Amino acid sequence: MNLSPVDNCYLPKIAILDRVVDEIAEVKTFYWRFTDPAEQAAFKKFRPGQFAQVSLFGIGEFPASLPPSPTEADTFFTVKQVGSCSAALHALKPGDKFAVRGPYGNGFPMEEYYGKNLVFVAGGIGLIPLRSCIIYALAHREKYKRIQIFLGAKTPRDLMYRDNLREWEKSAGVECHLTVDRAADGWTGNVGVVGSLFKKPGVQVAVEDTVAFVCGPPIMFRFVIKDLKALGFQDKNIVSTLERYMKCGVGKCGHCCIGVAYVCVDGPVFTYDQIQKLGEDI
Amino acid sequence: MKARILDSADVLKIVDLLRQQGHEVFAPFGGRGRDTCYDSVTDQNRGEIQIHLPNPYYPPKRFIFPHIERLMKVQRSDGDLQIEPTYREPKRAIFGIRSCDVAGIWHLDRFFLGREHRDIYYEKRRKNMFLVNVVCTDPARDIGEECFCVCADTGPAAREHFDLQLMDLGGGEFMAVAGTEAGEALFSAPFFRKGTEEHVAKRRAILGEVRKSFKPSTTSWFSAAIRHVSAGRIQEKTWEEIGKRCLECGGCTYVCPACTCFTVSDRQVGPDEVERVRIWDACALGGFTRMAGGHNPRRAVHDRRNRRFFRKLSHYFIQRELSMACVGCGRCAAVCHGDIGMPSVVEMIRRETAEVDKHEPVAR
Repeated sequence: MNLSPVDNCYLPKIAILDRVVDEIAEVKTFYWRFTDPAEQAAFKKFRPGQFAQVSLFGIGEFPASLPPSPTEADTFFTVKQVGSCSAALHALKPGDKFAVRGPYGNGFPMEEYYGKNLVFVAGGIGLIPLRSCIIYALAHREKYKRIQIFLGAKTPRDLMYRDNLREWEKSAGVECHLTVDRAADGWTGNVGVVGSLFKKPGVQVAVEDTVAFVCGPPIMFRFVIKDLKALGFQDKNIVSTLERYMKCGVGKCGHCCIGVAYVCVDGPVFTYDQIQKLGEDI
Repeated sequence: MKARILDSADVLKIVDLLRQQGHEVFAPFGGRGRDTCYDSVTDQNRGEIQIHLPNPYYPPKRFIFPHIERLMKVQRSDGDLQIEPTYREPKRAIFGIRSCDVAGIWHLDRFFLGREHRDIYYEKRRKNMFLVNVVCTDPARDIGEECFCVCADTGPAAREHFDLQLMDLGGGEFMAVAGTEAGEALFSAPFFRKGTEEHVAKRRAILGEVRKSFKPSTTSWFSAAIRHVSAGRIQEKTWEEIGKRCLECGGCTYVCPACTCFTVSDRQVGPDEVERVRIWDACALGGFTRMAGGHNPRRAVHDRRNRRFFRKLSHYFIQRELSMACVGCGRCAAVCHGDIGMPSVVEMIRRETAEVDKHEPVAR
């Protein structure tokens, strides 16, 4: 067989951890960069919604969303400590080395959405992948019409990316609405599920010529879909990003397959229309 | 494609030629009873190679896609990391590979070398692999109870994807067909001679006969099963019935020549050294889709059974890989405790469809 040489798609490149920022309980943001500047430059061409495989040698490798926008200078992951790999990442100190490969997946087609309204609906750490799109959209503000953000968290302490939230709340170019399930710490904002924000007095959710980005825990996802459909959203105008157990990130290991799709290469971004046609429950 | 004739007594000289060329040759050997396996040919065991024997359960795909394969070594020193990919590209040949398993390797080629990302580990092992296919012609020894290559359209004689194909014509003669230039190059050996029209006619007659010696089986309904699975017409209760009989041992996937799933695991091999290996994995196993935190989207066993057959039989994936992920070898049927190998599943789908599609007799 005559085959041309190929790159090794399983080979991660060495990265160095620069600093760690606490977000909320069990969730930290890890600022890192590749030790090789050429790798860093190549990686920076990622699209919002793509992901990377993070290697903690001796423990394993896990897929992580990319919360930064390619329009930002820094590269970072925001990771909740859940399993053994994320625990190993949480144990790293600035200066420690690990490894990363990617970016992988389709990402959100942000250029296709030029000229449209954007509605972002996030629950809890569902904001991690959507942060990339929001920052990207704000960096290309003139390309989009209205931009609305609806964000829910369990308590005020569970609101992440607070610097960004404060900025978005102040910014004239974006409407940012927050809610919590349980008020505390002198919270004076809305209390209720994220869908309750849609009916708040003074809130007018853009529906016509609008794309809704939805990301959050499965139960939140189900209810928000219901609310959006009640508002008149069509399935093809609702987009989300799915997560699955993954080993390779390149469509070979078979773990992330849902029905007819490999989440790693065909996704992780799917419209709600596509999600329903996968042929298997998400 | 060029063909030559050789004497039965000279067939193993092909093994010798390949070994002289520097190939490590794997060939089938008999054990006790039904027990057969592929093993590396040495000067000592060379005479025990068997041409006609039941196809070994452990498929020869492992010579290209090993059960456990090291991907890289990682050294830690003074806080630094050194990652070194570990490639192996041995010069190997499989002598006596059956047509179903040739189709399995073709499927793996499509899967690992096609689409967005190519698998360099697979590619390196594959590019130096020489395949000598043997056509199953002996109903008593070659063709098993569960074989259905005729229905999967992969045998008994592979049409392509081998380097050399051997077929026992009886009467002390074999026909050799070259599938590649490397295969044809072997014909310069003195023990090959040109065939006659009679040899071609004999080959045709034997293949015609062999096709009749497969056990009558419901797998002739295979293509209809593909249609029904692709259209999502199988009822949930049928998947549940299949799921109830699955012990989740993963055996079907380990003997399957077309299964490709793997997991990746790191292991400490020294105080400052880690190696990353990949290991065959199976969609039948409960933890296959379980995520950190415990959420498992495919929790019910019948979801996983449904998954296996959907992945193997749906048009979507057949188009994606340009080949079906079932080659009709029948191994899954032979190893399954719950008798839900592919032939049984096809039969269950046929029965269900007969039930769903039943209609009132035409009034007379």
